[in-house]
Amino acid sequence: MAGKSGRTISATPNRSFLKTVLSWEGALVVIFIAVLVAGRIMSPSFTLDGVMFMMPQHLCQLFIVFPMAFVLIMGEIDISVGSIACLSATTACLAANAGLPLPLVIIICLATGVACGALNGFVLTKWPELPPMIVTLGTQIIFRGIAEVVIGAGSSLKYDSDNLSPFATYLGPVPIVFIVVIVVAALFMVLLSRTTFGRRLYAIGSNRIAAKYAGIGVNRMRFIVYALAGLMAALCALFLLTQIPAVKSDEFGKGFEMNVIAMCVFGGIATTGGKGNLFGAFIAGMTIVCLRIALGLVNVNDNVITIIIGVLLIVSVLISGISQILARRKLKNKT
Amino acid sequence: MSEELILELKGITKIFPGVKALNNVCFQLRKGEVHALMGENGAGKSTFIKVITGVFPPEEGQIFLEGKEVKFKGTRDSLAVGIAAVYQHPTTYPDLSVTENIFMGHQIKKGPVMDWKSMHKKAAELLGRLNADFDPHAEMGTLSVAQQQMVEIAKALSTNARIIILDEPTASLTANESKELYRIVKQLRDEGVSLIFISHRMEDMYELADRVTVFRDATYIGTYDVNGITTADLVKAMVGREIKDMYPKPKVEIGDEVLRIDGLCRMGYYKDVSMFARAGEIVGLTGLVGARRTEVMESVCGITKPSAGKVYLNGEELKVKCPKDAMDAGIVLLPEDRHKEGLILTWGLGMNVTLPVQDELAKGRIFNDNKRERELSRDLLESVDTKAVSIFDPASSLSGGNQQKVVVAKSLAQNGTKVIILDEPTKGVDVGAKAEIYAIIGELALKGYAIIMISSEMPEILGMCDRIYVMCNGRVTGCLDIAEADQEKILNLAMLEKGKEAVS
Repeated sequence: MAGKSGRTISATPNRSFLKTVLSWEGALVVIFIAVLVAGRIMSPSFTLDGVMFMMPQHLCQLFIVFPMAFVLIMGEIDISVGSIACLSATTACLAANAGLPLPLVIIICLATGVACGALNGFVLTKWPELPPMIVTLGTQIIFRGIAEVVIGAGSSLKYDSDNLSPFATYLGPVPIVFIVVIVVAALFMVLLSRTTFGRRLYAIGSNRIAAKYAGIGVNRMRFIVYALAGLMAALCALFLLTQIPAVKSDEFGKGFEMNVIAMCVFGGIATTGGKGNLFGAFIAGMTIVCLRIALGLVNVNDNVITIIIGVLLIVSVLISGISQILARRKLKNKT
Repeated sequence: MSEELILELKGITKIFPGVKALNNVCFQLRKGEVHALMGENGAGKSTFIKVITGVFPPEEGQIFLEGKEVKFKGTRDSLAVGIAAVYQHPTTYPDLSVTENIFMGHQIKKGPVMDWKSMHKKAAELLGRLNADFDPHAEMGTLSVAQQQMVEIAKALSTNARIIILDEPTASLTANESKELYRIVKQLRDEGVSLIFISHRMEDMYELADRVTVFRDATYIGTYDVNGITTADLVKAMVGREIKDMYPKPKVEIGDEVLRIDGLCRMGYYKDVSMFARAGEIVGLTGLVGARRTEVMESVCGITKPSAGKVYLNGEELKVKCPKDAMDAGIVLLPEDRHKEGLILTWGLGMNVTLPVQDELAKGRIFNDNKRERELSRDLLESVDTKAVSIFDPASSLSGGNQQKVVVAKSLAQNGTKVIILDEPTKGVDVGAKAEIYAIIGELALKGYAIIMISSEMPEILGMCDRIYVMCNGRVTGCLDIAEADQEKILNLAMLEKGKEAVS
């Protein structure tokens, strides 16, 4: 069955260098460099070694940025990740304090995270009408509540072993956690941009019904992604324990979900789904980490830093919002 | 109908950035006439309507109302002089009552408070005038599309409109509902209202219009007396070329039975549905809207679960748990709603086409093989003659007919397909593209696919199908061979159980 008109359709992608530079990711790279330069000017301690030294405690949250990006690209949200980190850290502490060997501690910690994420996934796929925001708000309270029951309100559970210390070391000037983050980032980027799995995520986020009609197991994908978010929250908890070897139920991982969502949105991932990529989210995350370090070095109050990041977030959403409005106007004028 | 003009537009040009949406167009509406406005999608009809109602002020040209020049700055101005439009998709508030919808924007007030009593009374009067059988207190969302349209017409009348514009009013109506609409239109005409009627359906035009104006590519082609022009000439005027055969159905040797549906039930939707389709055969599935035709086919394709009954493919029982199972077995569905179910509008055409088969094409079934995907999608899109420049064009940039071709290409992407189910394949598609889609369907039958075509359009069912199943209220009420089928028989079967309760 050949086309009667003999019309041909081009299958060559139209990539232009200018378009890449002018994209939001391009702008983020510029902002990132600007933060580095500004940091260097403001503080003499803002050197490579200095940044690398300060980095580990801020970097852990980046582990959750990647699966959160997946959740957002599907057009959903998971605000229980901070609590999952808290509960996973709690089970890790209990396991270590019971004298279990390190591999077992790690497995227990990660299994806790996966179980929590899977619970989110189970509820949301069993009753697909439920809004993810509300379900994960519920589990956010539940998971942290369990940790509080175990630890006891107000008290802190110590991680009574130094077997995690190898993870807190440096390879040359580079902290181990940074290397792990880079590896994880690379894996998630390949998963999202090069595999059928990633394409399915975008399909679900762009048009869930059409995705279903195209034979995509939408609920299976959702379950996997929520479980993955749980797993990465536990990994985050594990590395956080190498920095702060104690868990307080009302502090550990508190507010991580919002920090992480902020990094994703700043990185150009639309909360409405189907848009954005992990390179943007990663650079945005690194920008916020370096900004925190730089402002910390010049003794800016932590709360002020939070305000600055909040402003940054709104400005970034505003910019993408304005470009969307302009694009829509262009489209509207056409029809 | 008098010769007196109520509305005249002269030399209207409307420019959008980069495109001339209307190019020096003129139009004359006589007092008390029904004037059809026809043309392909993108011919400029909708823009023209928006110029008349004041949504888009034109760059050039004049509008005369009863000989006096008028200038509209917005819909408020046009409403004030008695011009109202009823759109294809009723733009209503589903949670509000019929009365509230009718008086939205021009509520009757007693001092500062709403005078609900008079509004309900007036609404009941208007609905009575239209012979509507529902209560003005009813919630809008509980009404059918046809009833909602009636509310829209009542709304137009409530503003004392002298000119009513109907934009594709019959597109989502059944044959019977269309008849009811015809009656209303004729009644309004007899009461002295002038109507502009946009439609893709020839039947509408012949039934209602006195004169017809044709637009093509943003230009005015001509105005004709409906009785003085043949269908062929009219189509030629719209499309710009001759369509020799609207339903080019090739002679196909019909093969063995491929699909058999046996006693399929889904509680609350349909009951005891049995039918079969053979290789190379085009089987029609028709009935009134709400006859549950789509629901049956969705169950066959694994989108919903039937509660009883069996489906056989090539004699073997098929167990379908999800859409993927059906696709793997060789059954593909082209859903009715292209925007919602068929396409990811923000994506390029190519990725839309290969979405169902990306696993099969991927390296090691994991890594996307972009090169193979692009080549396959380009070949498929070319094979169905899609009007597009690149496979990277977003699906939203195409016209309805071309979007439908993309959906067809998508359904052809996988190997091993045996049954193709088309749900209203030409809905919202203009005349030229319709003929092309029929040609594609004919070629698919020639290639040996068993084809099931759900359609509410009688001419296409009678023009394309070999056998026709008719459904009513969730049951198959009859199966007609094309040799014995005619419009009357089909309609009788489609309304056989009317009044009986739906399947529960």
